[in-house]
Amino acid sequence: MGPKNKLMTAAEAVRRFIFDGVVVGMGGQSIGRSSMCIYHEMIRQNKKDLTLVGCNLSIPMDMMVGLGLVRRTEVGTGNLERFGTTHCWRKAIEQGKLENEDYSHLAMVTRFLGGEMGLPFMPTQSLLGSDILHKKSKGTDKKYEIIDNPWNRGEKVVLLPSLNPDVSIVHAQKSDETGNLVIEGFLAHEPEMIRASKTVIVSCEELIPSDEIRRNPERTTIPYIYVSAVVHQPWGAHPTSVYRYYQNDAEHMRYYQKCAREGGQAFQDYVEKYIYSSSTFDEYLEKVGGLKNYNRLHQEMMEVL
Amino acid sequence: MSSNYTLNELMIIEAARQIRDGETVFVGTGMPLVAAMYAQKTHARNICFVVETGPISPEVLPVPTSVSDAKAMHRAAKLGTLREVLGCVLQRGMVDVGFLGGAQIDHYGNLNSTVIGDYQLPKVRFPGSGGANDIASHAKRILVISPHEKRRFPERCSYVTSPGYLDGPEGRRKAGLKSLYPALTVVTDLAVMSIDRADGKLKVVKLMPGVTLEKVQENTEFKLEAAPRVASVEIPTADELNILRNDVDPGREYLGKGD
Repeated sequence: MGPKNKLMTAAEAVRRFIFDGVVVGMGGQSIGRSSMCIYHEMIRQNKKDLTLVGCNLSIPMDMMVGLGLVRRTEVGTGNLERFGTTHCWRKAIEQGKLENEDYSHLAMVTRFLGGEMGLPFMPTQSLLGSDILHKKSKGTDKKYEIIDNPWNRGEKVVLLPSLNPDVSIVHAQKSDETGNLVIEGFLAHEPEMIRASKTVIVSCEELIPSDEIRRNPERTTIPYIYVSAVVHQPWGAHPTSVYRYYQNDAEHMRYYQKCAREGGQAFQDYVEKYIYSSSTFDEYLEKVGGLKNYNRLHQEMMEVL
Repeated sequence: MSSNYTLNELMIIEAARQIRDGETVFVGTGMPLVAAMYAQKTHARNICFVVETGPISPEVLPVPTSVSDAKAMHRAAKLGTLREVLGCVLQRGMVDVGFLGGAQIDHYGNLNSTVIGDYQLPKVRFPGSGGANDIASHAKRILVISPHEKRRFPERCSYVTSPGYLDGPEGRRKAGLKSLYPALTVVTDLAVMSIDRADGKLKVVKLMPGVTLEKVQENTEFKLEAAPRVASVEIPTADELNILRNDVDPGREYLGKGD
């Protein structure tokens, strides 16, 4: 009798662990390793009134904001870097439809660090003198406190409230059925965020035997004790990239950006075609290019490792 | 020497020249990544790149679309975490040059990449800080690369995302920043400006070939002053241009297709 098997479908994971009104920690960064298969399912199940938190929030955040499922975001940035801004997010903030709180990336990870260690707040010396401290959203009561370093009078230290998401969503390269994760490539804010979260849903490219984890435990990024659900979904981060597996799908990114920028019917058509009328992520994957496209994206990744 | 170059290309080359060999350079996405790649392929082969997603000392391949792109991780010494690079390397003071890109830049070298107008109901919403506030707070030197347009250079940023000299020569000290008086240089396609430690304001120190101070002023909202001696930015050699065009950005993703 070992740790329990947490393997389930995306639909079941979302049904069991995501509720209206929760605070969702988003893994991946920008156009890398977003768990699109879980976010598509959240959209299909119409999970709403969400607070989305993370560092560089990208395409899935933008989709959910565009669909009116999000009440608040807490970010370091919202953008898709070379592919442009997150149009739905930008428009929603400019139209006063979305509450957003800004932090720097180090400030966000500092908040997760406090959360993962069971502490109420955590210090940083970023943000001093900036409007990230001085301006705040309507829904934020107290954003920070500046204290004097008790051991060096006159030195300023910023305290930030810890952040413990209700549920974090992460796409890993490998996991076993119990949720021992191996994340390869960049890690961004994910280790701190995962360990700070009350529940964690993981999607993975490959399901590996627990024996492989336990023979090489030093390679485990996150042990199963933090993980609530494991969803096996190859190509589950498309159109974002997965290090060692596939490059981002630039063509599809540009297509999404065109629809999001245009908004209205173009955006509705996108979500209808790719999300609502696909009952699973596999159906979506069939629509966005099939095997030939995936071989190309895999090849593109292999060339740059 | 070559006359066949664009000011955009020369901006990238001139920004790269500000980086010295052996330095640890924290690079933001976009233009800074391209300019730092160019530095690594020319006069600064031993620089240590640090990228906010976690890569430490990668040999960046042409040309990443994102800091999460595997091209920004190629042959890195370590793929770490965001806390490791922004916290351990940057905040604790190991970064020589913090290299930032496009935003609003004001007279005191403060950067705005967050909002124009009211914070809660902005006229324009930009992406936000990302690692930029952290980089500007903690790096020993701050290097900014930006196209030179009037709306990008207001007297004061309405929102300070990343601190320059805040409101004067002692602004950073008053705010409690640990990197007290960083050299701060802004390289544009018209000029090079640096913070004058005497008043904490940007002064023109170099002009792009053929560009006059008047032309720079026309494209700047704040009242420009020039340093006592204003040099001309050195024209790129054919070799320099070849490296930039063939080895750094062969698809002209950042160099631009026009001109």
